[in-house]
Amino acid sequence: MSIDENALSGLRSTLAADDYRMAVTESGGSVEVTITAGPDACADCLVPKPIMRNILHAALGVPADSIVLVYPADAS
Amino acid sequence: MIDPTAGPSATAAGPPRAGRPERLDGLVVGLVANPKKNAEPFLDAVGELLAAEHGTAGVVRTRKTSITDPIPPATLDELVRRCDVVLIGVGDCGSCSAAAVADGIAFEGAGVPAAVICTDAFRVSADAMARLQGSPGYAYVTTAHPLAPLDADAVRERARLALPELVELLTSAVPVAAR
Repeated sequence: MSIDENALSGLRSTLAADDYRMAVTESGGSVEVTITAGPDACADCLVPKPIMRNILHAALGVPADSIVLVYPADAS
Repeated sequence: MIDPTAGPSATAAGPPRAGRPERLDGLVVGLVANPKKNAEPFLDAVGELLAAEHGTAGVVRTRKTSITDPIPPATLDELVRRCDVVLIGVGDCGSCSAAAVADGIAFEGAGVPAAVICTDAFRVSADAMARLQGSPGYAYVTTAHPLAPLDADAVRERARLALPELVELLTSAVPVAAR
């Protein structure tokens, strides 16, 4: 896995602008990305998962469909 | 909910881009605002500046009701019929920036030059949507984030600052790089 830390940093900044946070956990060849919402986050402002997967694919160097992506709504 | 995989094939050779007018005088400008705060005042201010400084003939306004969804097909068709160029924005969150880019690409595909405005915090989202739509490198104009908290005078000033790049996007025959 070849993580582009600059790209991840840019994504974190973008998410933070909407009051979201991101945690990335590597496990072998796969990666889990969990997005959490802050108190000022608006649910509609978070991009749909296919767009997020495209961003993460570029940043993480893994196929988009191998990324386990967890959104705030998934936990409810 | 927007389908980011809709639209041109991801293998398309470059972004679809409508032909550009050399000048804007006498043209009708579509203003496609999203529901984010200050989107409409920003676009209205640009419309006023275009009339005052570039002689545009009028505006056709529409306000999207969804942050996340693309412009409804019927609204797109109406604006394609009535407008010579369109301004779309303001992308001031992740999903509305992506949707604005998708709308811009849709107008270009329908033959109408479009200029999308996003705030600079959301380049990542805007660029990702462009890639998913088969238009990597799709050019748009940015203004500083955030736009929503600004008062009316500050919004007008942002519009004034963005105007030269917007005019260039609408009239330049050669695509400019995303800024």
